[in-house]
Amino acid sequence: MKNDNINHAEAAAAFLQDREQARWHDSAIWWVRQKRDMQAKQLPEWEQLRALAQQIKAHTLSRLDDYLQQFQANAEKNGVTVHWAADADEHNRIVHGILAAAKVKKLVKSKSMLTEECGLNPYLEQHGIEVIDTDLGERIVQLRQEPPSHIVMPAIHLKKEQISELFHRELGTEAGNNDPTYLTHAARANLREHFLTADAGLTGVNFAIAETGGVVVCTNEGNADLGTALPPIHIASMGLEKIIPRLEHLGVFTRLLARSAIGSPITTYTSHFHRARPGGQMHIVIVDNGRSDILGNDDFYQSLRCIRCGACMNTCPVYRRSTGHSYSYIIPGPIGSTLGPSRDIKKHGSMAFACTTCGSCSNVCPVKINLHEQLVLQRKRAFDAGTLKPAKKMGLLAMRFLTQHPSLMDAGGKVMRKVVPIVPENLTRHSAWSRPGRALPEMPEQSFKEMWQARQEKKS
Amino acid sequence: MSSREQILARLRQNRPQGPALPDIDAVPFITFDDKFDAFRTLVRNLGGDAVQLADGDSVQSVVQQRWPQHGRLVDLTRADNEESASPHAWHDVDVAIVPGELAVAESAAVWVSHADNQWRSIYFLTQKLVLVVPRDAIVDTMRDAYRRIAIREHGFGGFISGSSRTADIEQSLVMGAHGAMAALVVFV
Repeated sequence: MKNDNINHAEAAAAFLQDREQARWHDSAIWWVRQKRDMQAKQLPEWEQLRALAQQIKAHTLSRLDDYLQQFQANAEKNGVTVHWAADADEHNRIVHGILAAAKVKKLVKSKSMLTEECGLNPYLEQHGIEVIDTDLGERIVQLRQEPPSHIVMPAIHLKKEQISELFHRELGTEAGNNDPTYLTHAARANLREHFLTADAGLTGVNFAIAETGGVVVCTNEGNADLGTALPPIHIASMGLEKIIPRLEHLGVFTRLLARSAIGSPITTYTSHFHRARPGGQMHIVIVDNGRSDILGNDDFYQSLRCIRCGACMNTCPVYRRSTGHSYSYIIPGPIGSTLGPSRDIKKHGSMAFACTTCGSCSNVCPVKINLHEQLVLQRKRAFDAGTLKPAKKMGLLAMRFLTQHPSLMDAGGKVMRKVVPIVPENLTRHSAWSRPGRALPEMPEQSFKEMWQARQEKKS
Repeated sequence: MSSREQILARLRQNRPQGPALPDIDAVPFITFDDKFDAFRTLVRNLGGDAVQLADGDSVQSVVQQRWPQHGRLVDLTRADNEESASPHAWHDVDVAIVPGELAVAESAAVWVSHADNQWRSIYFLTQKLVLVVPRDAIVDTMRDAYRRIAIREHGFGGFISGSSRTADIEQSLVMGAHGAMAALVVFV
């Protein structure tokens, strides 16, 4: 679970203290963005594909209640048990109820941001059930007892030396062996034992098909498949926005998801689950937890189109330079910065400002969510809810006053252009603009307005 | 009211405006002159390989040549294919030869949904996975693939593209995360 009191700017400043680590984080994630671009450029139809995905999702949201009922009816025809959870607590109680009824001692989980959102792991552990996260990155952060810092690459904030130390301590690997292949295969051997001895498996859901009543789970590691093929019980937890109307629509979404997420044409495994394995049970838990309220908000309902690819984080200049751990909501980056504040503006107000409004997130989003526009609107809510630090609030109020009084703004600018160049350096050293890597800009002779007027006069 | 009724009522009340469903066939998607070549080039980057079976050759001999020292081999393409008492009993399989119905050129993915195989665990427990696909069952894109697959009575089907992999440690690509360490697609 994440600490709700994180202030993005403060946490980011702390992360940036280690310049080398920060630079590595930035470039590693930018490389994923570049791989995404290479994949997108190989498909002449890429932009049309995004438009199709947007239209399918927009249509589905306009009839979500119909499609969810159709999904439930078809899933039940396949012998699957469907549960509905209004909030995180109900979701956790339902999952625990299924596990307790079958006397489950060990649960293997594949990646699910929804269960992070619901705080499922601590809930089950309190009730005496051992929970093993099986995605390698998720396992690493679980052993470190910290939340994932990215929705697709949970351990991207860590260096291999840190993982080597962790595995030496927890799994008994050789001290000082930092080789990623060695470490990955050590985790493979350890987790195989868990797969073979687990009593139940839980997965997230990438897509739920109304027409067939099945769910689709995409992984590169194969952990969702081992976790559902071996134990007799499969529980799939899904946010209610994961629904798509027809099987054929996967012909659009499976083309977009991995290309957007990691720059691969597809994930290694794209598995379609429609029934329990022989002799087993399959359960699907449909979770609301605030989503139906977001649906009714004209400014923010489009965020429910999200397919959780993470492309918006990989392109975001703020995310890359601050890590997911600087965001108070469990989902970081641009999409988290609208979903978190939509859920609770008082807790997550600072996230709305983790944005330069450059718009790159909206340009890479495979379902074309207007992310940067939503973040601007969330800023307004953060201000109105009184979540701003006093200095930021005063600054914004002063700016508002100035922009409403043009002559004062002109005069202020004039004074600034004259005064700033003659201010001694030791006075500006501690300003926000004089941190390492930043400098006060050279002051121009004229304001933009003066230059514009001069130019217009010259023309006429 | 149950949670189900409450959630559905809120969704109904909060319905936004939305467009009609688009015709996904109206947009032309990429096509490949040589689908096998596109498939092979891609799968080699994804921890796998693809071959076309030569006349007179057999899948078994291709496997034997590639992995002469292999351990337990299970061949599900045989009519009298081996069964296992439990999904766990496949845990020591070294090579699994399984039928693949359909291959996709753009993603190097193979659709696996074998009704005669009771335990799907074999696809993921085996160390080396051999997918046997009919030579003419290869399509350009995932859209073409979804037109041709069916969700079967037994309830499981999946696309498998290359070998299991992860880049969760410093973005270094490692083959063999949890599933097969190697994948070979044989077109027959």
